[in-house]
Amino acid sequence: MQINGVTIDDTFAEAFPMKATRLVITAHNRTWARHAGVTATGFATSVIACGCEAGIERELGEHETPDGRPGVAVLMFSMSGKELAKQVERRVGQCVLTCPTTAVYAGLAEGEQIPLGKNLRFFGDGWQIAKMIDGVRYWRVPVMDGEFVAQETTAVTKGVGGGNLLLLARDTDAALAAAEAAVAAMRAVPNVIMPFPGGVVRSGSKVGSKYAALPASTNDAFCPSLVGLAARSELGDGIRCVMEVVIDGLTDTDVANAMRAGLQAVTDAGAEAGVLRVSAGNYGGKLGPFHFHLHKLLGEEALA
Amino acid sequence: MTTWVLSLEQAPALRVDLRGIVPAALAGLSLDQIERLPVFHGNDTLPLAELCHVEGVNGNGAMTLVLQGDFSRCDRIGWQLAGGYIEVRGNAGDYVGAGMTAGEIRVSGNTGVLAACEMQGGLLDVAGNVGDFAAAALPGSMDGMRGGTLIVRGSAADRFGDRMRRGTALVFGDAGDFLGSRMVAGSIAVGGRIGAHCAWGMLRGSIVCAGAAPSIAPTFVPTGHDISVFWQLLARDLARLGEPFAALPARRIRRIAGDLAVGGKGELLLPH
Repeated sequence: MQINGVTIDDTFAEAFPMKATRLVITAHNRTWARHAGVTATGFATSVIACGCEAGIERELGEHETPDGRPGVAVLMFSMSGKELAKQVERRVGQCVLTCPTTAVYAGLAEGEQIPLGKNLRFFGDGWQIAKMIDGVRYWRVPVMDGEFVAQETTAVTKGVGGGNLLLLARDTDAALAAAEAAVAAMRAVPNVIMPFPGGVVRSGSKVGSKYAALPASTNDAFCPSLVGLAARSELGDGIRCVMEVVIDGLTDTDVANAMRAGLQAVTDAGAEAGVLRVSAGNYGGKLGPFHFHLHKLLGEEALA
Repeated sequence: MTTWVLSLEQAPALRVDLRGIVPAALAGLSLDQIERLPVFHGNDTLPLAELCHVEGVNGNGAMTLVLQGDFSRCDRIGWQLAGGYIEVRGNAGDYVGAGMTAGEIRVSGNTGVLAACEMQGGLLDVAGNVGDFAAAALPGSMDGMRGGTLIVRGSAADRFGDRMRRGTALVFGDAGDFLGSRMVAGSIAVGGRIGAHCAWGMLRGSIVCAGAAPSIAPTFVPTGHDISVFWQLLARDLARLGEPFAALPARRIRRIAGDLAVGGKGELLLPH
């Protein structure tokens, strides 16, 4: 399939079930809400070594938050509910509780509840106060700028992690520009995050390695430096730089919508912009239950 | 499902104990069975039909009981109510909604003492006034209201929310002396004036004085910090009920902590 000169591979992205939660972090102004969101979702690119994948879903206006202050919505994904609970507690405890003027609330209502302010309250050393408002329990912990308000729990839902697009471009400039455009388009889609730096990952991985200790290693089939060297290369002539955008979403539909938005942003720019092919990463379809076929994503859009 | 309407044509000579006359208990009974239900009248038991006229009308599906007339001599209406809806078209006696865990009671008139005492859940909405010790504890008990919502659209007498532990209790009009005395936790909001010794011996909890500021005991101290986050959460919830709380989110707030005699973890919230 070709759109505006960009070849869309007949392949699919393979994604996995994860556990997810949304947190709403508010602060005195947008700047401090963003500081808290950025810090809490730092070092959260991949579950391989970060414990969770997290990112700022979007910024929230004063009319969208429980306390009428500006805020950010943050999504966090982990492989198990237990690990997610651990990550939420550590990240909120170290990055939100500590950030000036912030408050934190659950961004999802339905699902198994994990602690949010429930354990952080002990920071209050006995001075903390619980408050039930409209059936929701909040903790008020005295801190040096006043009070840290945190909802007691947040809900965990089933999420989908690992949706992806591989952008195969003629050079670094073109690959970066396309990746940035794709990420910008995906950021407009609700319920998804792109957890890597700037939403983009340049070190896509394959399963396994020649070293027994490593579960994953570089995706040699897409490395331009290995064309002609690696046993199998996916890259043809003229492709010298590949970028990947990874997407985690609350449902498979959300991930599909984000992938479609990204695909459209890339194909709208066309092959003249420098992206020659779009592909996707999978493991043969045997590992992950969610398969996002690129042709189907574009076909559904054409039908709609 | 049938809605049962009990009409009181004349005031009973003695106090009547209506515990057990709740929608769930009447569901599935025939008119004859309901008329023969025993109720205490003074020290004697009488069949219900001797006190009031019982009538079944087609309901809207919810378990509903309507009490029509002046029930001010009838106590324990909705005693330990666990579901369903009771509407009192007139006054209610003492202990209305006491110990209720779920469901809804609406009273169009006034109630006696100890309304919503030890209430654990559900909603009690009184259009008129409530007597002493509303949302408080039963005599001898350590904890008062411990959940649910009490709305008093008129005024409250003394000792409102005495030993209250959890839940929300609101007075649209004035409140008497010793409001929230010995309060353990929970939220009280008063739209009008508040009598003497407000929050005496308060351990924890919040009292919002949306009307005139009460006289503050010397065992309460102002705290100067910014509590706008918590205030917005609470004020927005109260504002949903309309006047006199509708404008609360837009008002600035003064916080006074106390009662220091018992730890000082409670608070008076004074919008200004």
